[in-house]
Amino acid sequence: MVSATRADALPTPAAPAREQTRARYPDRVGFTERAGGRIFWEAYGAGDPAIVFVPPWQIVHSRVWKAQIPDFARRHRVIAWDNRGNGRSDRPRDPMVHVTRERAANLLAVMDDAGVDAAVLVGVSSSSGPMVVVAAEHPERTLGLVFICPSSPFGSPGPKGSAPFEAPLTDDAGWNKENIHFWRRDMAAYLEHFFGEAFPERHSTKQIDDGIEWAMSTDMETLAATVRTPRTLDEATFAALCSAIRAPALVIQGTDERISDVTQGIGLAAAIPGAVTTLVEGGGHLVHVREPVRVNLLIRSFLEALP
Amino acid sequence: MSRAPTETPSAPRRTHDAGRARLPDATGVARSTDGVGIAWESFGSGDPTLVLLPSTPIIHSRQWKAQVPYLSRSWRVITYDGRGNGLSDRPTDPEAFRSERIVDDLVAVLDATDTEAAVLVGLCGDGVWHSILFAGEHPDRALGIVAFSVGVPLLSPPHPWRVQYSTTDELPTDEGWAKLNEHYWRRDYPGFVSFFFDQLLPEPHSTKQLEDTVAWALDGSVDSMLGDMHAPSELSLERVTEACQAVRCPMLLVHGTDDRCQPPSRAQRLADMTGAPLVILEGAGHLIPAREPVKANLLIAEFVRGLAGRSR
Repeated sequence: MVSATRADALPTPAAPAREQTRARYPDRVGFTERAGGRIFWEAYGAGDPAIVFVPPWQIVHSRVWKAQIPDFARRHRVIAWDNRGNGRSDRPRDPMVHVTRERAANLLAVMDDAGVDAAVLVGVSSSSGPMVVVAAEHPERTLGLVFICPSSPFGSPGPKGSAPFEAPLTDDAGWNKENIHFWRRDMAAYLEHFFGEAFPERHSTKQIDDGIEWAMSTDMETLAATVRTPRTLDEATFAALCSAIRAPALVIQGTDERISDVTQGIGLAAAIPGAVTTLVEGGGHLVHVREPVRVNLLIRSFLEALP
Repeated sequence: MSRAPTETPSAPRRTHDAGRARLPDATGVARSTDGVGIAWESFGSGDPTLVLLPSTPIIHSRQWKAQVPYLSRSWRVITYDGRGNGLSDRPTDPEAFRSERIVDDLVAVLDATDTEAAVLVGLCGDGVWHSILFAGEHPDRALGIVAFSVGVPLLSPPHPWRVQYSTTDELPTDEGWAKLNEHYWRRDYPGFVSFFFDQLLPEPHSTKQLEDTVAWALDGSVDSMLGDMHAPSELSLERVTEACQAVRCPMLLVHGTDDRCQPPSRAQRLADMTGAPLVILEGAGHLIPAREPVKANLLIAEFVRGLAGRSR
């Protein structure tokens, strides 16, 4: 059912496709202005603790939490926001705006503007970076951490990102598609590959379609800037930040992880004092999208056990 | 999709029966008038009883898997495998697939489960037409009919593709609806059911429903399907009209605009003829209860609750 247009995918950010209907609409939305950027956020519901859904890579935007927001907003104040580079946030082309500490500062600024003093932070994939920074350096604002299939420097690198992004390649197989020359030739084929790997579970056609739609609401050059962002926190620094965390932490890791690697999630849990890992058998990278009932119940149990 | 061998099982079989959301409270085998054993299951206990009719012999009672757990919270729900599939017997004689025999099976299940009267829920000809025949013959036992993908024969011309090819002649092609053909069925029955259910599930993101329906069809017997194809029938438009007008219980009709099996005009004709309300679902295909279970379940529940105020 994949129906992305071919080479001209990600044409311009000017005309976003009409959004699908939602199960629940936000009670309040806002834009946070910070460091010359503009960050869109949404607030839903009421109730403590507040939950902030932290955005991952800009290949998706805040609709990646569509199966969580209506559930948790019944009992909690919920914030979802778009990283700079997708959704209703701006489209910077400078890779340095996306370094981990900038993303952490954006997270704190959104919490400030939304009036959230402290929250449970829930993220997926590369959300782990800013979550770890905020939890380590602002413990008073971090009530708990849920990492879904997190990236971390502690495990195997995983297949994605193994090929060079800038150099022309002779072969387009597999993750060699994550290459700017291939993107310019056939971005739609890259997106089909990415979301096919992100959703290895059978009967995922709807989730794959949604993922491609979210990716197509940004543009290729903006997304390329996020790939060019250097890693600024080395393994030792990241490990020190993890060991400073005092908030309760849960890692939810799909065993059929094909974007990151299972060992990155397990390694992150090992680096954070007291963190617990729950494996979801057969789950892929975006397991909260594909298995929302299972994942939401795991998060709910985690919330109920908070001090 | 992996192809099963064309040889279909001769023994009772229902795949994926163990991991159900709701297991039956009681099961049994009813004996129909011609001796054919009909396997039934009963769930829950509320009044009235709902009987979900099988689309026999092509698939079996698991076609209602998205209805049983929900409806049985409020009402007693009975399902059964039609003759020729699931855990029921597998006759192959065309005489065994006359409409009268299919209605006998429903009567046998009602008797075996001590069900005086029930709300009937059916899909397509197998479920809807036989509910109508039953309601006309046993007005005291039919409390209401929910008719999905209204399969009342002859009420309007069939879809042109359904009659494009002979079902009994050897054809020069196996393409498309040419697969609805007894010679092709003998050669490649899995090929037919894969094509057929793909047509019945035109909605995007139906891969799970397609996999389920194909598996249920391959639980059945191609010889029973051939018996059903050759079942004697003395239908005329007059006889069909008479049967529809004989229904005294309330009816609800539900039809999808993209139903490639039964034309929506049949639902419209039946609505015009009986005054029954008709719900048209935009973009829906033939298998509404499987593909749109929330809508289907809410429609059934609303209909059943609406019956409560009526005197019997």
